[in-house]
Amino acid sequence: MSYLCLENVVKTFNKTEVVKKMNLEIEKGELVSFLGPSGCGKTTTLNMIAGFLEVDGGKIVVDGKPVHLLPPNKREMGMVFQNYALFPHMTVFDNVAYGLKLRKVSKAEINQRVLEALEMVRLSGYEKRYPKELSGGQQQRVSLARALVIKPKVLLLDEPLSNLDAKLRQEMREEIVGIQKKVGITTIFVTHDQEEALAISDRVAVMYEGRIEQVDTPAAIYNHPQTDFVSRFIGEVNHIQAEVMESNDDQPCKVSFDGYQQVLSHHVPKGVLSEFYLRPEKIQINLENNQGLKVLVERKMFLGSKTRYIFLNNNQYLFADISNTVFNPDQIKEGQEVLAVWNPEDLLPVKK
Amino acid sequence: MQADMEIKQEQELLYEQKKKKSTRKKLDSWLLLLPTLAIFIFFFVLPLFFLFITSFKTFDASSGIGNDWTLQNYVKFLTDTFYLGVLWRTVKIGLITTLAAIAISYPVAYQMTIAKGRTKNYLTLLVLSPLLISMVIRCYGWVILLGNNGVINNALVKLGLIDQPLTLLYTEFSVVIGMVHVLFPYMVLSIMGSLERIDPSVIRASQNLGASPIRTFFSVVLPLTLPGIFAGSVMVFSLAVSSFVTPAILGGPQVKLMSFLTYEQVTTMLNWPYGSAIGFLLIFIATITIIVYSKLLAKSEKGVAIQ
Amino acid sequence: MRKKLPKFSLHFFCLLVYIFLAAPIVVVLLSSLTTTDYIVFPPKGITFKWYAELVNHPEFMQSFTLSIIVAFGTSIIATIIGTMASIAVVRYEFKGKSVITQLVGSPLLIPSVVFGVALLQFYSWIGIAASPIALVIGHIILTIPFVMRLVVASLVGFDRSIEQAAMNLGAGSLRVFFQITLPIIKSGVIAGAIFAFITSFDDLTVALFIVSTDVVTLPVRIYTYMQYQYDPIITSISSIMILLTVVLMVVIERVLGVGKVFASKN
Repeated sequence: MSYLCLENVVKTFNKTEVVKKMNLEIEKGELVSFLGPSGCGKTTTLNMIAGFLEVDGGKIVVDGKPVHLLPPNKREMGMVFQNYALFPHMTVFDNVAYGLKLRKVSKAEINQRVLEALEMVRLSGYEKRYPKELSGGQQQRVSLARALVIKPKVLLLDEPLSNLDAKLRQEMREEIVGIQKKVGITTIFVTHDQEEALAISDRVAVMYEGRIEQVDTPAAIYNHPQTDFVSRFIGEVNHIQAEVMESNDDQPCKVSFDGYQQVLSHHVPKGVLSEFYLRPEKIQINLENNQGLKVLVERKMFLGSKTRYIFLNNNQYLFADISNTVFNPDQIKEGQEVLAVWNPEDLLPVKK
Repeated sequence: MQADMEIKQEQELLYEQKKKKSTRKKLDSWLLLLPTLAIFIFFFVLPLFFLFITSFKTFDASSGIGNDWTLQNYVKFLTDTFYLGVLWRTVKIGLITTLAAIAISYPVAYQMTIAKGRTKNYLTLLVLSPLLISMVIRCYGWVILLGNNGVINNALVKLGLIDQPLTLLYTEFSVVIGMVHVLFPYMVLSIMGSLERIDPSVIRASQNLGASPIRTFFSVVLPLTLPGIFAGSVMVFSLAVSSFVTPAILGGPQVKLMSFLTYEQVTTMLNWPYGSAIGFLLIFIATITIIVYSKLLAKSEKGVAIQ
Repeated sequence: MRKKLPKFSLHFFCLLVYIFLAAPIVVVLLSSLTTTDYIVFPPKGITFKWYAELVNHPEFMQSFTLSIIVAFGTSIIATIIGTMASIAVVRYEFKGKSVITQLVGSPLLIPSVVFGVALLQFYSWIGIAASPIALVIGHIILTIPFVMRLVVASLVGFDRSIEQAAMNLGAGSLRVFFQITLPIIKSGVIAGAIFAFITSFDDLTVALFIVSTDVVTLPVRIYTYMQYQYDPIITSISSIMILLTVVLMVVIERVLGVGKVFASKN
């Protein structure tokens, strides 16, 4: 059995199920992100794990013991809140020491552990400050120290970076992962930011409408989405259609994208239009021969290391991101016709 | 099969626990409310209810409250010109007080709105401090100032403007002065609230379109603060008609208002039923004002929403 | 120049208003210093003999003590039960909530004189004699609306994730209330307590109906005394009351800051 298990967990608000029979197993020391659009049930699930919401069905088991009937103060989980939730009337030291005092730890040990925790989040020397005297990033670190100092079984992070500006956010997320790996604590990280989730997680649980759509490593989520929602939600995709030319059982099949013919390794039923997703960075421009999909360059946008091209084919837009070191954007002009090409392995079949 | 049973049992257990929790929550909220509610029901709702009943009883010279039911107390008040005169005077003084309060509050509220930082804090303290000082004492100060031998009369006589001291005290004038003094902070707070909500860019926009400051004030600022003036007026009016201390000290028996009449009927005439009836007519006036106000407010808010 | 004029007239007008506001209070304070046996303003000479004279009027001192006791009792009880009720109203959903909120707010709408009469009738029927407790009960009703307004205002803006954080760290609900919630809403609660104290200490209307010959609060004592006497002793006891209020106000200012108290009042 895994360290943290959700078994058929259900949550109902006013007769609508916002979390539907959820199952998830998390190993000890693992960092798992809950990723999904707002209203997908990720925060609700986190609050059920923390104990702020009661489960309406199913079980939550930590380290072999069911915890879903315990009140939040008996669950031994550290939580970092979106708005930090520091105690405004206590100093940084007292904020971090609060959980230890409740556990009747000796004064000397409290002192030592608080200072260690503050050092870990690089806030040594800030003990006497009050929360309102700290910047957002510093408050977030106090919040992290406060959650970790009690050595909780599980660390819960509820969109911890969403109130920080972009640059700080990136710094903080690296710091959080660093600390998490150092301490080796089992962690759940709730976010709606996919870049964040892909960058820091051991595994990502993509959630939609109260269900987990897919739990997998970031690379697997990106490259092998298992559901239609995951394909559309993670990264950007072009939605393209092909005509199936030739298809025999157990044989590779031939398809045609408006005349651009490709051989697919997997089987597609013949005679129907088949739909695929294709990521913009998988598309290249072919100036050498006449292979490829004929497209009109509607616009090109210089984005630093790469250029985004907006192609038009039969009233259908196609986005392509091409590295400027691979292809010099000056070679083509807006309004020109070019050939777009891609590897058939990069096509993601649309799952209905 | 057995696993199914287990799941079912577990679900039932969960359900039971949930039920217990929600009843506990309900119990918590009622326990928190209990002391306040108990005091209010026993010492506020019940006494007022009994007094309401009393107002429909006949007068009995020996015990104050007779045994028979009657509407006579209300009829008597509403048909007697003397009592109707008191009612009219109460409303009139309420209206004059309200208008006077608007006139002197607006500039002060405006000054406080444009003031900054410390000055603003001190002005707030200055304006609100009368609220905190005993009403009896403040009214007594006006007695000293307005009396026949008071500062104002003495000054006027010395300046040769008058030969005989004017009768200022125990008049409608002195009552209005006292009431404005007591109720003015409510009006300032209310007007200030709406002045502060005005977006400064609206004023700049008006001036940018070529309006003079005075034109801007009358066509932009004043209309935007009408809700504040209105809310303040309702508060001041309903407090003025029901106030007792100020008219008792600065008006006395010479300037009888509804509240004083209630007091007099109960304590000196010992006519409890009649005193109660007057009291409930007073409640009626104050409540009607508030109800009309909130109806109008709801209407105007709808109007705003449509715009 | 033309631009300055409206601003100048605004400030001048406001100055007159402030003089109007301060006048009766200043007059009471200064008249208490007169050497004459009757009240006169401006005072003739300066003396503190009317303060010393209070020693010969133990009834004033008795009333003063009574008023302080009643105001203290009212303030403490109204603040505790009013805070409890505020929590119920803000934090819980239950049937009849709006009726209850209106009920506890209604003493602001009911003329105090009517409430005083009603209470007097009720007390005499059930046989409660004039006593500090009888006064405290009446004053609790008068002050609960103020306490609840202030406490509710500080609870409404309360970020509940702070409480969740404490629970998450292992605190039970009572501990969360006393160690986290109460310290954070402290300013609203203290402001409520002070308002309750002042309202009770100043109340004449309701007390006038409840007092008896030996249980007389200070405002009632002053009111009845000035019906018959015109000597400066009334101004000296009044001055003491004013100074007490000023001290309380300085405490408010120090502890909470004026802006804060009155901002939360709206």
